[in-house]
Amino acid sequence: MNYWKEFAKGLWEKNPQLVLGLAFCPTLAVSVSVSNALWMTLAATFVLVSSNLLVSAIRVIVPAHLRIPIFITIIAGFVTVVDLLLEAYQPEVYRSLGIFIPLIVVNCIILGRAEEFAQKNGVFLSVLDGLGMGIGFGLTLVVLSAVREILGANKLFGYTLIPGMEPALAMALAPGAFFTLALMLWAMNAVNSRKKGR
Amino acid sequence: MKIGRQIIRPTLVLTAITVASVFLLSHVERLAGPIIIKRARQKQEAALSLVLPGYIVLSSRTIAVDGVEFTYWEAEKKVENRTVRAYAFLTKGTGYGGDMVMMAGVDEKGEVLGLSIISQSETPGLGDRCLEVADRETLWDHLKGGIPERDFSDATRIPWFQNQFKGLDANEKIQIVKRGDWEPGMRDGLLEINAISAITGATITSAGVVRGLESGLDRLRRAREAAAAEQTGGIR
Amino acid sequence: MEIRVFVTILLSTIFINNYVLSRMLGLCPFLGVSKKLDSALGMGLAVIFVMTLTSFITYPIYKYVLVPNGIAYLITIVFILVIAALVQFVEMAVRKMSPALYQSLGIFLPLITTNCAVLGVAVLNVRSGFMDHGTSLGLMKCMVQGLGGGIGFTLALIIMAGIRERLEIAEIPENLKGAPITFITAGLLALAFYGFSGMKI
Repeated sequence: MNYWKEFAKGLWEKNPQLVLGLAFCPTLAVSVSVSNALWMTLAATFVLVSSNLLVSAIRVIVPAHLRIPIFITIIAGFVTVVDLLLEAYQPEVYRSLGIFIPLIVVNCIILGRAEEFAQKNGVFLSVLDGLGMGIGFGLTLVVLSAVREILGANKLFGYTLIPGMEPALAMALAPGAFFTLALMLWAMNAVNSRKKGR
Repeated sequence: MKIGRQIIRPTLVLTAITVASVFLLSHVERLAGPIIIKRARQKQEAALSLVLPGYIVLSSRTIAVDGVEFTYWEAEKKVENRTVRAYAFLTKGTGYGGDMVMMAGVDEKGEVLGLSIISQSETPGLGDRCLEVADRETLWDHLKGGIPERDFSDATRIPWFQNQFKGLDANEKIQIVKRGDWEPGMRDGLLEINAISAITGATITSAGVVRGLESGLDRLRRAREAAAAEQTGGIR
Repeated sequence: MEIRVFVTILLSTIFINNYVLSRMLGLCPFLGVSKKLDSALGMGLAVIFVMTLTSFITYPIYKYVLVPNGIAYLITIVFILVIAALVQFVEMAVRKMSPALYQSLGIFLPLITTNCAVLGVAVLNVRSGFMDHGTSLGLMKCMVQGLGGGIGFTLALIIMAGIRERLEIAEIPENLKGAPITFITAGLLALAFYGFSGMKI
């Protein structure tokens, strides 16, 4: 039961963007299309799970005052792996995610989870935590990107929805990202405050 | 003792971690590196065959023009017992997101044969539409199994913005007009005034591509003059 | 000709590709430090300084160390460590040399390491071809891009702080307070900034 709780908390209760307020940069920037969102989720989840795994495995031998630089080095290593593999096997994805692949390094979720969870818990729990957080990050990202792709490009998964209809360009650009995320945060606050009031 | 604990030990630990991760990364790179290089070469070859349709590439040269490296290719094809020459070259234009690298092909009379943008970092949704392919297949069509009469030939896979460069006259100034997204029906009207239609909301990107093409054409002319001078000099 | 190139880079990183409002980089400090005008200004100045310095230092590292040795794929790991060390160093230097400046700027410096706009500008300098072999005045272009990125960030931060100081006394629905209203305001600002994208330079 405990395992399930550690996994599921990232999905809703402690959703990285909507509740913890982390990782807004990649969320807003790559949510132009659903396929971008899915690839970003995959890349970030891979880094998150691997770094959680390694950090919790070496947690006993890491000197406390050196932990931040060590964690950053580990995370940067996994990010480079993702970067190289995407460039080699998925060049189109690599091109459209652009600088947000290397910028996974400074994604606060990953360093945050290493600090908050992985260095205090066992390997298995840390992997579950990373997986849950990664999927929670992805859920928000996919919902946001679906709204933006449908309204901003009149497309879904790269295919036109209604031929000949002019899309609302602003939704595909930065303002649309800000507005949609604001509405999602608002909805989340409303749901949570209603729960509390009950 | 204090120095040892405060400086030397942390340095050693950090160095060890960095060395270990770089060691592992070098193995990943050995796996991925050759594929990345191969893809880059394939991309360049694909771009060459796109901007020199039907031509056979003879040679490539890299020389310095104005102190900047300039790479161009020579190609030819037979048309009714006559050999027609054409040239392709790499050039750069400046957009809002830095340099855009592109390849263009032009034949001996100065007709642009094609243009292909190789790398760019323009604003997503605006300038980066210079790589957008116009596709009429909708999601519903796709779920039903695709449009039966859909044209899968390469011609329809060329981004519409790049497609409109085909047939422009390189000897004259290329105009930029605002007529919205280009479609094949607009070709004749635009070629008459030697113009391209800019991407909506990204006039600077469109102008950057045109400037890049023009500066490339200028460099090509000078590079060929330099090469010709060198050749006559060699014979003498 | 070259001056025009620099002006283009500067103005486009400040207005058209504003790091916060168009590229969506550095949103964490944008949300966190935009409550008060004077702290926004302090953070902004620190970011301008660090971004320009980062551009200046990563240029030789990439061009003369990483590329000639064929290890350009290590940029992420090298750049993040360089930025972390640089920020640490600047913090120490400022504390030693000017305690007054440290009082106003120093507290923001540790936050900058994880500001994705700083790593972002270093990576963007590589991606926009400024560090390529054969690019003339590449170092200057990188530094102008770093400077422009920092100024753009500061501009967005200051505008936001000015608006938020007034929003404090406005009556907003309870659930919209905090991040949601800030993002709506940011969206409106971003819309306004798109007005610049037709600008001819």
